[in-house]
Amino acid sequence: MKGKDLILLLLAAVVAFMVMAAPTFAAVGCDLNDPDRDVARFFPESSGYKTTYVSIDKRGGEVMLRRVEKRLGDRFHGIYETIDVPYTLYEIHSGPRTIGYIHGVNQKGQFGGIQVFVALDPGGRIKSFYIQKMTSQWAKKLRDPKFGRQFAGLSLKDLDAYNPATGKGGGKVAEIRNPAPEAEEDFRASLRALKKNLILMDEFVFSSERGKP
Amino acid sequence: MMDGTGMSLQARGLTRVYRRGSEEIHALDGVSLSIRQGEFVSFMGPSGSGKTTLVNLLGCLDNPSSGELDLAGRSIFGGGKILGEKALTRIRREVFGYIFQNFYLIPTLTVRENVALPLAFYKKTGVEGEVERLLGMLGMAHRMNHLPGQISGGEMQRVAIARALVNRPEILLADEPTGNLDTKRSEEIGEVLCDLNKNAGLTIVMVTHNPSLARLGGRLIEMRDGQAYEN
Amino acid sequence: MISRFQIAYKNLLRKKSRTLLTLVGIMLSSWVLVSLLGFNRGYEQALNRDIDNMGYQLMVMAKGCPYEAATMMLQGGTGLRYIEQSMVDLIVSKPEVDKVTPILMQAFFDPDKGDGGGIAGYFGVEAASFPAMKPFFRFRQGAWFTDEQAAEAVMGFEAAELEQREVGDMILVPEKNVKLKVVGVLERTGGQDDGTIFVPLKTLQKISETDKITTIGIKVNKDADSVKLEATLYQLPDVQVVSFTQVKQTIMKLIATARVMVLSIAIIALLIAMVGVVNTILMSVLERMQEIGILKTMGAMPGDIFILVWTETLILCSSGGIMGIGLALVFARLSDILVRRVLPYSPGGELVAIDMKLAFLTLAIIVVVGLLSGIYPAWKAGRVRPLESIRSE
Repeated sequence: MKGKDLILLLLAAVVAFMVMAAPTFAAVGCDLNDPDRDVARFFPESSGYKTTYVSIDKRGGEVMLRRVEKRLGDRFHGIYETIDVPYTLYEIHSGPRTIGYIHGVNQKGQFGGIQVFVALDPGGRIKSFYIQKMTSQWAKKLRDPKFGRQFAGLSLKDLDAYNPATGKGGGKVAEIRNPAPEAEEDFRASLRALKKNLILMDEFVFSSERGKP
Repeated sequence: MMDGTGMSLQARGLTRVYRRGSEEIHALDGVSLSIRQGEFVSFMGPSGSGKTTLVNLLGCLDNPSSGELDLAGRSIFGGGKILGEKALTRIRREVFGYIFQNFYLIPTLTVRENVALPLAFYKKTGVEGEVERLLGMLGMAHRMNHLPGQISGGEMQRVAIARALVNRPEILLADEPTGNLDTKRSEEIGEVLCDLNKNAGLTIVMVTHNPSLARLGGRLIEMRDGQAYEN
Repeated sequence: MISRFQIAYKNLLRKKSRTLLTLVGIMLSSWVLVSLLGFNRGYEQALNRDIDNMGYQLMVMAKGCPYEAATMMLQGGTGLRYIEQSMVDLIVSKPEVDKVTPILMQAFFDPDKGDGGGIAGYFGVEAASFPAMKPFFRFRQGAWFTDEQAAEAVMGFEAAELEQREVGDMILVPEKNVKLKVVGVLERTGGQDDGTIFVPLKTLQKISETDKITTIGIKVNKDADSVKLEATLYQLPDVQVVSFTQVKQTIMKLIATARVMVLSIAIIALLIAMVGVVNTILMSVLERMQEIGILKTMGAMPGDIFILVWTETLILCSSGGIMGIGLALVFARLSDILVRRVLPYSPGGELVAIDMKLAFLTLAIIVVVGLLSGIYPAWKAGRVRPLESIRSE
């Protein structure tokens, strides 16, 4: 036992030491746990996808941040929601055509982080709404596909009138029912995440597309 | 300066043979003479005559091939006895002071330090203050802190003389003391030596090519082919 | 009056460039020698420091228990074996033991962590004893819990980041649905602690409905025989002992070969410098043959001449040695950087550790080696016969 375990421990120690010397990352992003599986799930007709990383500070700096906050109707909070957070953007292809996007954001929930992903068509409409992770006794209800289907077909303008800070507002979004009233905070957090997700997609992808001839 | 009486040299049948390759050179061929305390003896002769060889033996710088030498009645060489470096050094430092044609002052030491140099290795009792006294006596007091490179040839020889005398030797051996000096300086050195001999009673044994210098002392011995001739 | 030391020292000044070059040679080789000796020492010290910083040097756990929380999580948190908490008292009584801390490692399954669900790893630790085991922990926010039964948690850097937790936020223990308040978020350590959630031991025991523990962390007394302690611990029933000092010894063995090589280089450098010294002194003796002969006419014994020349060697070696060691001290930081670039693994902290003791030791080595090298020229000078040297013009 001793010899083999010793080598394992030695390797663990060496790796631990090496990692100590490794560079650290500024902030944590939001990746799909299994992109191959999830891309196929949301875009069955896809032939492949491209992964890029973007962040507010690299794309537009403080100016962009202020604009996003204004559109969101809420400021960026805390030590994890910062200007340098990397966002993972999956560009889905079928042959040479781009057929859609997948994008996720981290959101602070009541008991843990919530990871909210949307699959969008090239026009920016929601195809799928997917909560990859949530820590809550009632997470099952909010992660139920029945809940997510309510968002299909919606786009950013449907959330324009919704204020995530207050949880009030009009539009199609206001009609969406909270399946877990005991987890009102997490329900509202998910909606904030969704709006933020769509705003960022608009800023990173669709507004520049609109600018194209 | 002189302690004791009767520090005389007695040489009997001194010979010195050198081997150079397969050749044998008889530099000295059975020379006998005696030098009394207080004498000033000059040795003259052409190159190869054996004068330097003889003076070296008298000065205990070398062992003879055969013959005897007594110093103050005590036998130094004789009976086949060969003395090692240490033994010769012990004799030398008690009795002799040496000056040479090339002065041999140490260039990185001052005049004062050069004169004091022998005292670093051997010091007789009562020689404190000899350095300053000798330099004063030889007219070099004003150059005490100069380096040899900053003084003239004649001054360098004076310093060498002071150095040779710092341990109060009985006998001064001078090998071509004026060989590197011009006429004027040679005369000056000659005067110094005369003075030391007459007023301080120092026994001087000198080798020289310079006839006028040789005549300064009381005795002149000529060397030819390893033999000594005295008038 | 002039002393023999002054004569020797002034002799060296006669050929300033040559003396200077020889000095530079000794200086460089002493610099190399003392730096390499310092490295030899520093590496071991730094490694010890790194191991020390791991908090505890020994871990005792139930036989068959995986000793890495990461491995535990990979295995799904099942099959965890326990040890009785009374084992702690047994171990603390051993004379070699400085401190102990009992730890309960638990994993809970969270079905909503990704699609297949995931494991959340918790460490139940004693507020009184655990922080002292990890003195290098720094807090990004907050501090350790103080109440041994509090419903509180301290989160590792990455665990907090994933859950977007700050001090004051709540977390939920999956499966059990127990709420805990975050009181501290740690700075990144680069180790597995970054993904760990620390909870008071009694709290976790209550949540897990057990009074047992999984691990005992042991800090050994500084000069204690840790091997002996390990052997004793192995005698305890149903436990395995994991030792970080064994890890250190393995690493040390790995670099032992490197150290031998490194020391050989230093010795070669020294020998080369000494050859330079012998050459310098010998040349100066040969140039001064007549003068040495004259010294003998002044009453210098062969021994006096030997000492004189040997003193010159001594002056050269000690001056060069002191300068080289001085340079090494000044540039220790630079040597450190150079060494780190060359080695595949370097522990943290000062790698080239030169203290006064080492400096003196190195100087002694240089002087002794120098004096040994200087014997031949000094002996040769002592043997000079005045007549031969005077005649040799």
